[in-house]
Amino acid sequence: MKLFSWLRSVTRRGKVESDMDAELLFHIESYASDLVKAGMSEEEAKRRAWVEFGNVEVKKDECRASLGLRLWDEFCGDFVYGTRMLRRSPGFAAVAIISLALGIGANTAIFSLANEVLYKTMGVAGSDRLRILNWVQHPKSTVGHAWGSFNKTKSGEMSGSPFPYPLYLDWRKRTKVMEDLVAFKDVYQLTVSATSGAESVDGQLVSGNFYQVLGAKLIAGRPIVESDLAASAPPVAVISDAYWLSRFGRSVEVLGKTIKVNATVVTIIGVNSPAFLGAKAGDTPEIFLPITLQPRLLPRPTGSLMTDKNFWWVILLGRFKPDISPESLRSAAETEFYSSLRATMPEKPAGNFPGLLLVDGGRGFDLQTQMFARPLHVLLCAAALVLLVACVNLANLLLARGAARQREISVRLAMGAGRFRIFRQVLTESLSIAIMGGAAGLVLGYACRNVLPALFEESWRKSSINPQFDWKVFVYALGITLLTGLLFGLIPAARLNGGSAGSVMKETSRMSAGRGRALLGKSLVVLQIGLSVVLLIGAGLFVRTLGNLKSVPIGFNPQRLLFFEIDPPSNRYSGAQRVALFRQIEEKLMALRGVQAATFSSEPLLANSMDNGCVRPTGKPAGTGNEDYPWINRVGESFFQTLEMPIVMGRSFNWKDNQHGALVAIVNRALAAKLFPHESPIGMTVNSCEGKTLGPPIQIVGVAADARYASIDAEVPPTIFLPYLQQDDASGTFEIRTAASTQSMLKLIREVVDSVDRDLPLLDVRTQTQQIDATLTEQRMFASLTSGFGLLALLLAGIGIYGIMAYHVARRTNEIGIRMALGAQAQRVLGMILADAWLLAGLGVVAGVAAALAVTRVLAAMLYGVKPNDPLNYIGACVVFLVTALLAGAIPARRAAAIDPCEALRHE
Amino acid sequence: MGKHLELLQGTLDMLILKAISLGPLHGYGILLRIQQISRDRLEIQQGSLYPALYRLEHQGWITSDWGESENKRKAKFYRLTATGKRQLQKEAENWDRMADVIAGILRTQPEEL
Repeated sequence: MKLFSWLRSVTRRGKVESDMDAELLFHIESYASDLVKAGMSEEEAKRRAWVEFGNVEVKKDECRASLGLRLWDEFCGDFVYGTRMLRRSPGFAAVAIISLALGIGANTAIFSLANEVLYKTMGVAGSDRLRILNWVQHPKSTVGHAWGSFNKTKSGEMSGSPFPYPLYLDWRKRTKVMEDLVAFKDVYQLTVSATSGAESVDGQLVSGNFYQVLGAKLIAGRPIVESDLAASAPPVAVISDAYWLSRFGRSVEVLGKTIKVNATVVTIIGVNSPAFLGAKAGDTPEIFLPITLQPRLLPRPTGSLMTDKNFWWVILLGRFKPDISPESLRSAAETEFYSSLRATMPEKPAGNFPGLLLVDGGRGFDLQTQMFARPLHVLLCAAALVLLVACVNLANLLLARGAARQREISVRLAMGAGRFRIFRQVLTESLSIAIMGGAAGLVLGYACRNVLPALFEESWRKSSINPQFDWKVFVYALGITLLTGLLFGLIPAARLNGGSAGSVMKETSRMSAGRGRALLGKSLVVLQIGLSVVLLIGAGLFVRTLGNLKSVPIGFNPQRLLFFEIDPPSNRYSGAQRVALFRQIEEKLMALRGVQAATFSSEPLLANSMDNGCVRPTGKPAGTGNEDYPWINRVGESFFQTLEMPIVMGRSFNWKDNQHGALVAIVNRALAAKLFPHESPIGMTVNSCEGKTLGPPIQIVGVAADARYASIDAEVPPTIFLPYLQQDDASGTFEIRTAASTQSMLKLIREVVDSVDRDLPLLDVRTQTQQIDATLTEQRMFASLTSGFGLLALLLAGIGIYGIMAYHVARRTNEIGIRMALGAQAQRVLGMILADAWLLAGLGVVAGVAAALAVTRVLAAMLYGVKPNDPLNYIGACVVFLVTALLAGAIPARRAAAIDPCEALRHE
Repeated sequence: MGKHLELLQGTLDMLILKAISLGPLHGYGILLRIQQISRDRLEIQQGSLYPALYRLEHQGWITSDWGESENKRKAKFYRLTATGKRQLQKEAENWDRMADVIAGILRTQPEEL
């Protein structure tokens, strides 16, 4: 009731005031007219009425206080007063607002990113009871062939998300602990021909209960239901809102339209609501299909996965019944899992069953948190540190300004202002600075919301992270704004209010006063420098990591190398047909004008991509020690020539190394040294020991120089290169060395591929350098953001040192004047002030180095070629700060040295 | 003018509630009614009526509307709310009890101790 009345009064303030005026006037006039009726002269009656009413303004104030408006009015008054004070010192205002805006802006932008990639849920109701099921492999337990992602648990065991489809069907029928169990699979680069031309889209295969259990909403049509999974049912699809917009321009006629997905004709039956982006965090699948379409869309040589009891591939998402404790939930689910395992795989010994792990499923299947949690938390910490530095800086500046206001406040205290009232006023001023900085920071953060994701994403793919500025981001920005306001406002407020009115009134600038305050200010500067040193040392580590990675000799020439992929659907191309298709395209590419060399490889280099297998030198007996698991790359004849990777011994591949020629291989130096440490590997043969029987002998014809393989920061792995023409199947990447631009080349490549098959989209066209950059995203982001933060902190520290020294010199003008009058040289005074600045910087650097030694250890795993306690880094940061202190202290020091003793002694 | 009694602290609110409970009144009317029923024996400073009215309205015990006064002018009329009625009853009971106790104490004779 009171709150309601208060809010009404605040929001309709004008009416409250005019009503009050009218009401009081009515009273006075009524009284006056009564007096006239009683026989008084009009003039006298008016006078009496006004006098007897009392002081109208005082009464009005009391009325406002009755409504609880007083605190509000005072707050508004303080706010106006605060902004007026700021307008009078625009330099201070600019430093204050800009430093806060940068600090709050950085925090807001990073939080909005974290909010998007770490905290956003699937956008379905009741997601707190959803769990993703994972198995955990014990040393003796086994899982069969699998397609999916695997993890190490905290205790170092292997865990994974895929399950066989028949096991899912059995489990779903069996379960009592879950309300229902959903299966789905994330699939990528489906070839879709819709209105015109073929394009590559990502999708999800879903079970019949997917939409019903998740409660995901559609904005048009109907969801996929159980009957769509029947063998006789016509193939259907639900598309995402984004795909509806990009491909069909939100046309209402999309329902019932047919499209070709991997050459299968599919009818569109529905469109998802924009809020629902599927069941895998971070993915934006464009098409949802019944899971039973797998054999037609993505056939596998071993047969349909719908009936394969030993092939693990579908992701399971269960909605659990409420009110069960987590552990009994897990053990009950595990018991059901074992029953289903026994039912579908009777041949599997019970001792080999993997365990079951339940993972929160509110975000769906989530690999993203694991990837982004650490970098984002490091960035959030760094940004918070910057904001803290800005806070300390402001506290210090306010403290110095406060010294000038001490007299004003003493006067007000002496005139009867309450201490709490003054405290509140000073705090309100700080808060008004914070609010202005926060508002500017919010705008800055909003402007930068798309800059940060760009640092995360591969430059040749379309952006999938679009941080939203929702209420959480606003609350976060408001929270840190108020917190910073309190943080940098409390100290000066408490300080200003500390002295008794009398003592301050008596204090004059003649005394080298305020020892306590100066000490406080100096400790704040030391704190500020310490924090900045930590930031700068951290930034140095990341910058050097990136520099080290970029200067690693990679063993081939990454410049002017263009990549692209095509993925011929397996329902149209058999293994051998694929090999022939790639060969055809490879030959046409080699003949293109402007192409210096072109080749194909099953794994692109420096793209976090690898495959390995078992090889054994011919004649050696089976057993560990003789076998090796090198990384395998199946490449075209001009692979080494195209990548400019030197052959150091023997020969490179040539046109005769095809399906008709003898089986040959090239090994890199690392593998040669491992397999044949004492003899030349040329002419030696190895066998594949992958299958149950040994493969045919393969002759080693050459040795390639060592080159970085999957990632730039990993040692060169032992590698074997085989001609892809001598394999049963192929998939991979085309590499072209060309001086032409990507755009002009793209057109020619498109023509080449179209001339072979019009329904094959080009995938992931990028250059080798773009590809390398993509593997260095995290390092580049750390290096750029932390060095930005570090420089900002350095700048603020410089301002802080300057502020405290300038304040100090001003306070000591008198004392310095006396010293100079007694014969001190200007040089000495200069030295004295500079020594002061250096002492501050020195203390700060020592504190910062100590803190950095403790803190940077956390970063060890994120560094390359530099240790967290690298001395060079520390010395660098120290030097930078001492120089900064010198520069920042120089201006006030010179001012001190230029003091004229006569002037100074008169100085008041 | 006869002898006026100073209003006891905290009693103005109760008098206002009582005055309004007899029917809606504007501020000046409240003043007149209190003077009328007290037969002019209480002194109320005219201006101090309004902070009290605003406080009572803020508490939700009275509510106000703009209407027309007896001399055809716009005036703000106050009415008692349901919670205001209960509040008046409570305060009146408290007052009675307090008055009894105080009166009892003041009537005490030395021989009664």
